[in-house]
Amino acid sequence: MSGDRRRIGLPLAAIGGIAAVWLALGMMVGDSYYQLMLTLVPIWAVVGLSWNLLSGYSGLVSFGHASFFGLGAYTVTLALVLFDITPWLGIPLGIVVGAVAGAIIGFPTFRLRGHYFALAMLAYPLALLYVFEWLGYQEVALPMKRAAPGWYMQFGNYRVYLGIAVAFLVLALLISLAVERSRFGMSLLAIKQNEPAAEAAGIDTLRWKIRAIVLSGALCAAAGGLYAVVLLVVTPDSVFGVLTSAQALIVALFGGVATLWGPLIGAAVLVPLSETLQAQLGNIIPGIQGVVYGVAIVLVILLAPEGIYWRVRDRLVRRASRLRPEAVPALPAAIPLPVQPQPANRGEEEAPFLVVEHLSKSFGGLRAVEDVSFAVTRGSILGIIGPNGAGKTTLFNLLNGFVAPDRGRVALDGRVLTGLKPNRVCRLGVGRTFQVVRPFARMSVLHNVMIGAYVAERSDREALAAAQAAIEEVGLAARADAIAGGLTTKELRLMELARALAGRPRLVLMDEPLAGLGAGEVETILGVVRAIAAAGVTIVVIEHTMQAMVRLADRLVVLDHGQVIAAGAPDAVTRDPRVIEAYLGPKWTALRA
Amino acid sequence: MLEVEGLTVAYGGLTALSAVSLSVGEGQLIAIVGPNGAGKTTLFRAISGTVAPLAGTIRFEGRDLLAAAPAARAHLGIAHVPEGRQVFPSLSVYENLEMGAYSRAGRREWRRNLERIFALFPILEERRSQPAGTLSGGEQQMLAIGRGIASSPRLLMLDEPSMGLAPAIADLIFERIEALHREDGLSVLLVEQRVAEALQSCDMGYVLETGHIVLEGPQHVLLADDRVRRAYLGM
Amino acid sequence: MDIAVENFAQALVAGLLVGAVYGLMCVGLGLIFGVMRVVNFAQGDFMMLGMYFSLYTVGGLGVLTILGPEAAPVAGALLAGPVLFAGGWLLHRLLLGRVTGTRAGGSGQDAQLILTLGIALILENGGLIAFGSTPQVVHRPLSWAAWQLPLISDHLGTVFVNKARRVACLVSVLVGGALYWFISRVRLGKALRAAADNPEAATYMGIDVDRAHGIAFGVGTGVTAIAGGLVATYYPFQPYVGFDFVIIMYAGVVLGGMGSILGAFWGGMTIGLVQQLSTLVLPLQLQNAAIFVVFLLVVQLRPQGLFGRNVERA
Repeated sequence: MSGDRRRIGLPLAAIGGIAAVWLALGMMVGDSYYQLMLTLVPIWAVVGLSWNLLSGYSGLVSFGHASFFGLGAYTVTLALVLFDITPWLGIPLGIVVGAVAGAIIGFPTFRLRGHYFALAMLAYPLALLYVFEWLGYQEVALPMKRAAPGWYMQFGNYRVYLGIAVAFLVLALLISLAVERSRFGMSLLAIKQNEPAAEAAGIDTLRWKIRAIVLSGALCAAAGGLYAVVLLVVTPDSVFGVLTSAQALIVALFGGVATLWGPLIGAAVLVPLSETLQAQLGNIIPGIQGVVYGVAIVLVILLAPEGIYWRVRDRLVRRASRLRPEAVPALPAAIPLPVQPQPANRGEEEAPFLVVEHLSKSFGGLRAVEDVSFAVTRGSILGIIGPNGAGKTTLFNLLNGFVAPDRGRVALDGRVLTGLKPNRVCRLGVGRTFQVVRPFARMSVLHNVMIGAYVAERSDREALAAAQAAIEEVGLAARADAIAGGLTTKELRLMELARALAGRPRLVLMDEPLAGLGAGEVETILGVVRAIAAAGVTIVVIEHTMQAMVRLADRLVVLDHGQVIAAGAPDAVTRDPRVIEAYLGPKWTALRA
Repeated sequence: MLEVEGLTVAYGGLTALSAVSLSVGEGQLIAIVGPNGAGKTTLFRAISGTVAPLAGTIRFEGRDLLAAAPAARAHLGIAHVPEGRQVFPSLSVYENLEMGAYSRAGRREWRRNLERIFALFPILEERRSQPAGTLSGGEQQMLAIGRGIASSPRLLMLDEPSMGLAPAIADLIFERIEALHREDGLSVLLVEQRVAEALQSCDMGYVLETGHIVLEGPQHVLLADDRVRRAYLGM
Repeated sequence: MDIAVENFAQALVAGLLVGAVYGLMCVGLGLIFGVMRVVNFAQGDFMMLGMYFSLYTVGGLGVLTILGPEAAPVAGALLAGPVLFAGGWLLHRLLLGRVTGTRAGGSGQDAQLILTLGIALILENGGLIAFGSTPQVVHRPLSWAAWQLPLISDHLGTVFVNKARRVACLVSVLVGGALYWFISRVRLGKALRAAADNPEAATYMGIDVDRAHGIAFGVGTGVTAIAGGLVATYYPFQPYVGFDFVIIMYAGVVLGGMGSILGAFWGGMTIGLVQQLSTLVLPLQLQNAAIFVVFLLVVQLRPQGLFGRNVERA
């Protein structure tokens, strides 16, 4: 994923090459059994790609892809058996059924997280399995249509099936490529990395997840339909069974998650291996196929948890960077930013831009934020300080919509933000940075920042331009193509700032932008933050490093036990006895006297 | 009894502690103060073994602590009362105390310790069969300290015992800590944001700022030094 | 004679009997989930191993036949407990412990979930290789015998109580009770709960969290294997039987509020009742589909479970 994402020629050529090689193999192999095997590899690769589209990119592990596979298979079969509809129409019909099933399953199930999501997904195909058994479709064979075999997708020559399967695979790879290289895939990856942060970056996470499961369901159903056509018989166990769901996940995991090559590698290795074993030893050792899959999973999880593709790629990348140390450009000296002299009364006479009124939030009995009110003028920097547990982070969560307040309201430029979802708040111009930076370690700085740019920009091209501008603004231009995993803490902080800026926010909430930095590094960040404010962006910042804060902020608001105990210019606030008591303890003044 | 030398800890590219050295003598109360994010909790975690240091040594009663497994350190006589209390919410108050007494020494002196805990914090006896998750913040803090005492420690490490508590309750907690130190002769290592309370009764204090010890000395020296205030408030 | 009342009573009794055994299975799984936060897909296959263990010690090898036809199946089931405890403990030591607990590193919960899926596939297909695919049952004179209980007065009807199920139900309640005693009264059991509540604080108490996980995994495995041995006396099984039950177990554990031992038992009981009572209104083939519907509804509407204490478990 490194390098320019416009460079799409290489993967396209690779897809073409793979298709050609596979078709050539099919031509060379004469034995119909091996031709069947060669046909099954692309089918399972499509299933793996479909799983990967949802679970690989978004990180929501599905144990229920057999639902889509089985619905596709049964749609094609029953359409032919009951209504004499050709699979040429049955497969598209199955795709529609799969997509609809994706939406029906997705809407309720995406409310669940982690374990619950995985378990709920497991239940769908099993429930369907029993329903189809009960309907009396224990074993449905596709009737032979000797009159017009071609019209009914029945070919004497297996190579035709192989050709169709390869065509499906190419289509699935192209779809995956398009997803991976667009805001679709990037949004899903952002969800995988940190769903709240993705919401805060303006990504409507539910919408992208629904799109992913609809597309995934459609692809999987297509594979299921083709499977029925090729094998000519479907049973609930073979298409809705746990092994089918497992196989979807195994080929993807084995080959590599969140890349289109992973499922392909997984299917190309595992399907022939297990089919051959089954054919050679199946009579003597009946469960050998399942054992092979089981062992493959265990080994992959222990040895290469993200799959073979990433394991090999990481090793190659590491070797390349060892051989060519100059490949990593040296970090240029911090770019001096013009720090504009700030008039003492800056913004004082202006109307407030951000207005917070009587904001309150309790968790259980704990009053985390209580009746907090303040206002910030456009382009100024407000610092929020207070001892541990004072309610600062809760206040931020209230400001950007992660948490709904019990009382009070937040308004930006006259527009009320309270009650909106975080991605809406972001779209209205509120950016946020997080205390712990979680970059997409394998992506370049540019791509990391682009995710932030999708909020404001319609096209991917505009997002690229906005990302480049933001990177320029924070002085990280020389490192734009570097892989985020290799950045220093300071560079990560700058990248995080750029990501927030790329969405063209009017207000940025910064949560501890200086945590973990050395003295010199702090100066760089301070310079960048001041420059951002000078450009007219309003900033609210939480920071513990008070030496830096008193020089950065125009005004400070001090929280203690969820309440505002002082507000004003830094020098006044730090001499306020109530503030000193909150920080140093109520007895400080008395003890020193 | 506890000697920390040149301790450096980093995670995720952030240096949380750099070359920190300090020592706790038998029967002393040592306070470590400093603003949020100074590395106080990391220091405690390194001593207890839940984070691994990059460099440095930790010796407890002459023994190399880094060679001992994290769970084994409690059995050597170190009780760690963690930040944010971290009681076992689904266990009753009594069961929480029993878990405190998981060490051999704690089991041996269970009766005596229990009496002492209930004498210090009578409310815990009243609530002994209540799940700890239903206690108030102050009560949970008392339970966390009680749980520490239940192990019959030779060194009690307290991480921000006053955090998030109302001033009156925080005062009570500090009073009890002092009593433990004075009356029972327990060695205490106290990490605290509230400088005044922490320094009030300590033998020695250290001021930690962004991972460095910027100031150390006896109580009266630190109280007189304006750099303490500046470490917190920046100016 | 009122057919409806009779059928209802019959289904109710059947539900309570199988429900108790389901409850025991759920308790085993619930313990593993509660302590380790690991969703274990292989749980059904541990149960399958318990079934075959019981089959071979009672039937094939006949070691236990000296106990007589009544006691031997129960002894076989109970013996499966310690044997599978050792198996579970070893499995944790060799495989699961690498991706859970303090050694989890960055691998996260997906790795654990998928690893147990791999173990499940190996166990059930390995089982196919080792035991063959012919359905088996642990035969005992009680297997197909039943008592007839009159319902209040004879004209209301009669309820048939399968004797094998009654024995299984009794043993399940006893074993479940013993586990509850262990977890709530014994020091080690309490330490497991402490490690579940807060692993970091447990370490500060001197509790070796990884060891606690190994014990919890072993005990959970053993308990479910006992339930398997009991089920084996009236339910024909083959190596793939695990997946029939793993969803039942998860449904029960989720119903009971993930992490609560007592809740898991009641959750399993509820599943048994739903399954049996559903036969009154639904065709027999759909009784498992009914379980999934209940499961999905609970997961959607009340993920903290029906019986779970609402102590925060973020």
